[in-house]
Amino acid sequence: MTATGPTTVLLLRLAGPLQAWGDRSAFNRRETRPEPTKSGIVGLLAAAAGRPRHAAIDDLAGLGLGIRVDQAGSLLRDYHTVSDYRGRPLLAAAVNAKGTQRLTGPAKYTHITQRFYLQDAVFLAAIEGPAHFITTLENAVRHPAFPLALGRRSCVPAQPLVLGQRTGPLEEVLRAEPWHVTDAVRKRWGRRNGNAAHVDLPLTLDDPAGDDTREDLPLSFAPTSRAYTSRRVRHTYAAAPTGLTPHPDQPPSTGGHDPFALLGW
Amino acid sequence: MPQRLFIDVHIVQTVPPANVNRDDQGNPKEAVYGGARRSRVSSQAWKRATRKHFDTTVPEPDRATRTRRLTSELAKRIVRDTKLERDKADRLAGALLTRLNLSQGKKASDTAYLLFYGNAQLDTVAALVSGQAHDLAALDDEKLAAELKDLPVADAFSTGHPVGVALFGRMVADIPKLNVDAAVQVAHALSTHETQLEFDYFTAVDDKTEKEETGAGMIGTIAFNSATLYRYATVGFAQLADNLGGDTEAALDALDRFVDSFARSVPTGYQNSFAHRTRPSLVAVVVREDQPVNLVTAFEEPVVSEAGIQAASVRSLAHEYAAARSAWGDVPVHAAATHTFASGKPGATETVEALTEAFGTSVPFDELRSGLRACVSAVLEAQG
Repeated sequence: MTATGPTTVLLLRLAGPLQAWGDRSAFNRRETRPEPTKSGIVGLLAAAAGRPRHAAIDDLAGLGLGIRVDQAGSLLRDYHTVSDYRGRPLLAAAVNAKGTQRLTGPAKYTHITQRFYLQDAVFLAAIEGPAHFITTLENAVRHPAFPLALGRRSCVPAQPLVLGQRTGPLEEVLRAEPWHVTDAVRKRWGRRNGNAAHVDLPLTLDDPAGDDTREDLPLSFAPTSRAYTSRRVRHTYAAAPTGLTPHPDQPPSTGGHDPFALLGW
Repeated sequence: MPQRLFIDVHIVQTVPPANVNRDDQGNPKEAVYGGARRSRVSSQAWKRATRKHFDTTVPEPDRATRTRRLTSELAKRIVRDTKLERDKADRLAGALLTRLNLSQGKKASDTAYLLFYGNAQLDTVAALVSGQAHDLAALDDEKLAAELKDLPVADAFSTGHPVGVALFGRMVADIPKLNVDAAVQVAHALSTHETQLEFDYFTAVDDKTEKEETGAGMIGTIAFNSATLYRYATVGFAQLADNLGGDTEAALDALDRFVDSFARSVPTGYQNSFAHRTRPSLVAVVVREDQPVNLVTAFEEPVVSEAGIQAASVRSLAHEYAAARSAWGDVPVHAAATHTFASGKPGATETVEALTEAFGTSVPFDELRSGLRACVSAVLEAQG
């Protein structure tokens, strides 16, 4: 962040039956990352603000982003077929010298694509920027110009999407926020973990000195000149409040590494 | 141009044992939500069914077709308008469409991909040459190209979109100018309850079996499930009107027909085996000036069958709607519902009360549509 003046954090809760956050997939295999991408979040904000595809997005891409995984969800593979309704063979991907597409040989009639989704996941996205800009964006997400989606058009967000604004450094905001899962998941987790007061949730934060990179910083969404660049991120954990009261006679938690806790098992 | 205006459509529909949308194993599609396995019908599958129904209700000039035979469709119109011979019309149509720089398919008259176009758009292009078709047909290729150079062919395709394109969008990979962003957003349909995959084991008898032979001609299984689905779609009215060139009357028509087609259509997968076509037990429309609201959260905790799933599902939906309205304090402009629950029946009174509380008294579907239209018109007038 190079912005001057006070900054604020906008908290979004990204939840719904299905989400899809692709960062490099094209053509027949549409994958998803296990957590929201910056391009997906920027796209959501741009759609909310009513920006056409060719509009500049540097101001949005310049905002700081932190993602907290409240419920990791699981991967769903969706099988898709495409065929010519007249029963003709499909066209090949290759073109001849004249630039026309050849028919597939041997003739292929059904084209298969795979779409991957995240199912049953909940994320918190914290977006940090100049106070007045964040206020404008919050208003835009509450009154979006275009219907919003979680990475793919058919992935409609469940409400509430906007949790409001918070002050303070982005990482602190993500650490302080209570755990956003349903009561059923919370109770199940509590039974296995002695109703511990905190749960470790993975954080991925924008950080110029971070030790990992993501290829999902959008430069332009214009159909003719889509472009992305990389950003540096840092991973850590946040001990988020669970809202549960530990029983004094029980050990406070599993006390160690519990990768399945996130799944609510 | 209308400002923020969204029309949410919420449908609860029960599908008997069926396999409307299957995966590569032949099993009905599924998803996990709220930790429970659900039956799923992809948004693409239901959009296709909606689109096909939609096309049967639209008058001919407004229809959209997906085809590669654009040239011959255009040639037919030139012949119709000018009585030119067919081969000359073909050549003229080809020359007109080269202005679009569409990649050509295997046959000279085909485009390389299926193009979603409107009959009205083709009529417009044909009209561009109708006055001078005979003169143009007499020219050689070079002169013809020069004559046609300044005709606004691409403009005809990038404006005045057919209603189907305005609603569902269009994507032409190598000519972004012809792309149209869809005005409707359709979510995957999910069951309101946990479902189990069931298998129907079947044997087929060979009617001509010899006496000594025993056993079945073939055996197999079909997977199926039965589900009460929650279906959700939202129409961004501003974009719909924009896609239709700012014609709000046409957008109102499109909205009305979309609601009709979305409610009445069912994907046809395995239809002959299961005869699964049903009508919704609840259709609710909500007009909002702030944002679309998906009520799928009503079913995050799966509905448990007591005396059937349907009534419990719609009660859950009604409560979610009412709770969201009071918690967020944003009152929708309009809400109405058509449902099939009758308060006279035992046990149904509570359901009807919950629905009435949330969406008002049930109205026949025709009235729901006319009420929606009247409401959206009124909002547009108020917005100026």
